[in-house]
Amino acid sequence: MERLTPRVRVVWLGLALARAAIFGGLIVGAAVGLTRTDFWESAPDVLVPAAVAIAVGLALLRVFVAWRRYGVWRFELRDDDLYIERGVFTRVKTVVPYVRVQHVDSRRSPLERTTGLATVVIYTAGSRSSDVSIPGLTPTRAEDLQESLRELAIESEGEDAV
Amino acid sequence: MKTLHPASVAVRSLSRSLNTGFLFFVVGIVASPGGNGTDLLSVFGLVAIGIVVGIVYEFAYYRRFRYELTGDTFDVTSGVLARRDRELPLGRIQNVDIRQNVVGRVLGIAAVHIETAGGGQTEVSLQYVAEAEAHRLRRQLRRGGSAPGAESADERARDADTEDEFEPTADEDVLFEIRPHELAILSVFTIDPGASLLGGIALSFASGLDPMALVPTDRFAWLPGPESGLFALAWGILLFLLAAWLISAALTFTRYYGFRLTRADDELYYERGLLQRYSGTIPLEKVQTLTISESIPFRWFGYAALSVETAGYAPGQSDSRGTESAIPLADADRVGELARAIEPFGPTDLESPPNRARERYAVRYLLVVAGLVGLAYALARYTSVVNRWYVLAAFAVVVPFAAHLKWSSRGYRIDDRYFLTRTGFWRRTTKVVPYYRVQAVIHSATIFQRRRRLASVTADTASSATLLGRAATAYDVDSDRGLEMQADIEERLQDRLRARQRQRTADRWVRDSSDTTDDDSAVENDDVQ
Repeated sequence: MERLTPRVRVVWLGLALARAAIFGGLIVGAAVGLTRTDFWESAPDVLVPAAVAIAVGLALLRVFVAWRRYGVWRFELRDDDLYIERGVFTRVKTVVPYVRVQHVDSRRSPLERTTGLATVVIYTAGSRSSDVSIPGLTPTRAEDLQESLRELAIESEGEDAV
Repeated sequence: MKTLHPASVAVRSLSRSLNTGFLFFVVGIVASPGGNGTDLLSVFGLVAIGIVVGIVYEFAYYRRFRYELTGDTFDVTSGVLARRDRELPLGRIQNVDIRQNVVGRVLGIAAVHIETAGGGQTEVSLQYVAEAEAHRLRRQLRRGGSAPGAESADERARDADTEDEFEPTADEDVLFEIRPHELAILSVFTIDPGASLLGGIALSFASGLDPMALVPTDRFAWLPGPESGLFALAWGILLFLLAAWLISAALTFTRYYGFRLTRADDELYYERGLLQRYSGTIPLEKVQTLTISESIPFRWFGYAALSVETAGYAPGQSDSRGTESAIPLADADRVGELARAIEPFGPTDLESPPNRARERYAVRYLLVVAGLVGLAYALARYTSVVNRWYVLAAFAVVVPFAAHLKWSSRGYRIDDRYFLTRTGFWRRTTKVVPYYRVQAVIHSATIFQRRRRLASVTADTASSATLLGRAATAYDVDSDRGLEMQADIEERLQDRLRARQRQRTADRWVRDSSDTTDDDSAVENDDVQ
């Protein structure tokens, strides 16, 4: 079982914090706006602290999930299929046979480029839920993986994968 | 290169000019000068321009549109402003559908839609060609598709040309024809989602756009104030439901009138429709999943429906509803028989999920009841709408039964060649997935499932109808058993693929050694996916 590069936690934490900041900013801003203006005459005093508490709580949850995700994430190139284990709350174990691989992408978001990481996305002809992506790979590993998936997919050959 | 039927210019520009005319009508209304009074002349002028533009466009479209059936592709050249050349390999075609509306039936023209896997919408639409041409195309497209590389391209093209006039009725056997009482039951009990909207529109027109006109206010004027309001509301809802039901029955009746399913060697062919005729082919070798569904009123009468999914229709494609259904309604036994004729799966006695799953559903429903009671309490506490909030707790009595029903309607089976799953009490759906169609196997356990060591195993296929979690999923199986199932399905998939590969090599060897290419082209169904 292969694990992701530990650095991927930086990416996930960064994303989690950014999202939490946006969401928290929205609800705290709304709460402040409601108390300052006269839209809601009798706004209770707890409104702003409650909004802050919710925002902080959600931010903590996001950070926890982002941190924990690394511990759960595993993948393995087996003989006939790719095996992936992931998910903090809903634990998902996916088996994708190489025969079914339609194409393989490698992808680098700005945040991933700054941390020197890459993501490999594997597409099948199935429904959305069976397209899988493997984040947190070093660029060389991502290239290797893409290459070997391509070879394995060709090797297993056969039908037109539908 | 062939062109569309000339009458298609008229039909297409009729529908097009209705659109553009309406658009220009709106533009005219909005943009017309003169403040409050709209200038009729300029509005009608704009509408006329819209109609002329529509007709000119459609004429150009007709002049530009060319299609051709070559030995192994179907080529379409089209486009007025942006040009497009499209080549469809015949072996990749999933479905061919023919649609005819009332106008088309009068003029003897039909629309042909060709679907392949992938892509967000119908790959090729021929709107419109002559009726006979449509049926000829359907036959040839399928014939070309089922024997790739078996004959040389020239041979097949020549073949196709000489056989133009012959309907191959001899080898078609009728699998299913809807009987009048089946059609009646189907019409009465089907709820068409579009019908409620139509019902609402019809009602609002009937009432002259004044909803109160339909309420016989004088009848219950004796009731005290608030009650009469409630009664009027109930009356309105009743009228609405009645209208929606009538329209839905009429729609379903016309949709499935004369439903007929036939089988000609390796494909199914359906026809249906009273006013609009629909027909099309479902190639058996492209079948991804079989779904047998028994909704609650139909199950009471012992009826079931069967749908056959191919990878052709994109998910969420609006008009694909119904086209993929093989049998709208029939005796459950007949449906089982027919499904087994398509995919010979074994008995459907399924393994139930463990008892822990039933507890889980009970707890879940109890939580829902508790939530409702809590909500009612909050309403009673802060408003005066609700008085006796605790009455809702009586629902708790139903919980054990509901949990049991949900549990007992779920099950799965790992057959020799098929993976079977069943779920749903109100609409019990049994899915049959051949192992060699499986795209990915997903074992997932939510945080609540893990508490009870349960998991759901999904065998994903390339079916079109996987929206809203309609993939074949065995819900709430034992977690370890789920892992076993996952490995098992994957292993059987590889086995089946190897078997088919062997079959194919053997076929090829036979074909190469003996030069009788014409004969084994028909038998070699296994070749294409």
